Amino acid sequence: MNVDNFFSPLDISISGLKAQGKQMEVISSNVANARTSDAGNGEPYRRLEATFKSDSDLGGVELDKILPDMGDFLRVYDPGNPQADGDGYVAMPNINLPGEMINLNIATRVYQANVAVLKRYQRMVENTLELLR
Amino acid sequence: MVNMNANVSGISNSMKGILEPRPIQPKINPDSSGMPKIGGSDVKKADFANVVKNYISDVDELQQSSNMSIKDLLSGKNEDITSVVSEVAKADISFKLLVGVRNKLIEAYKQTMNMPL
Repeated sequence: MNVDNFFSPLDISISGLKAQGKQMEVISSNVANARTSDAGNGEPYRRLEATFKSDSDLGGVELDKILPDMGDFLRVYDPGNPQADGDGYVAMPNINLPGEMINLNIATRVYQANVAVLKRYQRMVENTLELLR
Repeated sequence: MVNMNANVSGISNSMKGILEPRPIQPKINPDSSGMPKIGGSDVKKADFANVVKNYISDVDELQQSSNMSIKDLLSGKNEDITSVVSEVAKADISFKLLVGVRNKLIEAYKQTMNMPL
């Protein structure tokens, strides 16, 4: 990371905002598909997890990959369901809604923290410009 | 950001020429070093004008790109609100700096003009 640019704190905070926006996208997809028993490939929806990496020259963060969670699917006993197997169980996505809510809270807080840094930097610059008066 | 260091050092160099006590030289060769050259100040002036011009065009560029990103957002071409925020914040900061420098320059000019002679 190089720190010679006047605007890089702005760009870094903005990259944080963008990353948390992507995280939000993944979480909303997980929550929306919490009961999707067929994701189109014959098995239920797999929970997705976004991973981030740091941007080496700017020092910000960027989305690395969106990977599927390979944990076991939930098995729900529902013999009346047309998708139930011989024992009466239906496979449901491996999504834990309370956990998703916690991830949502974390994403929101990190987003807020980036906004706070951005605002503080702007105030700092304005204070510096006060010296010209 | 415009790097104003080159210009500032240029001014301080020319100031040094004026403020420093001149070495007393035998008047054989008055054109040699020691006297501040009058012709040299033209170059400095052009330099300063260029710096101001470059700076203004830089600020204008940022303003234009922030305008474009706002237009793109409103017309639905771009849906990324964070990049709009970043463009606007950059344009805002650089414009504030430009206005601050301009005010300072005008103030200095007024002070010079009001100098009792």
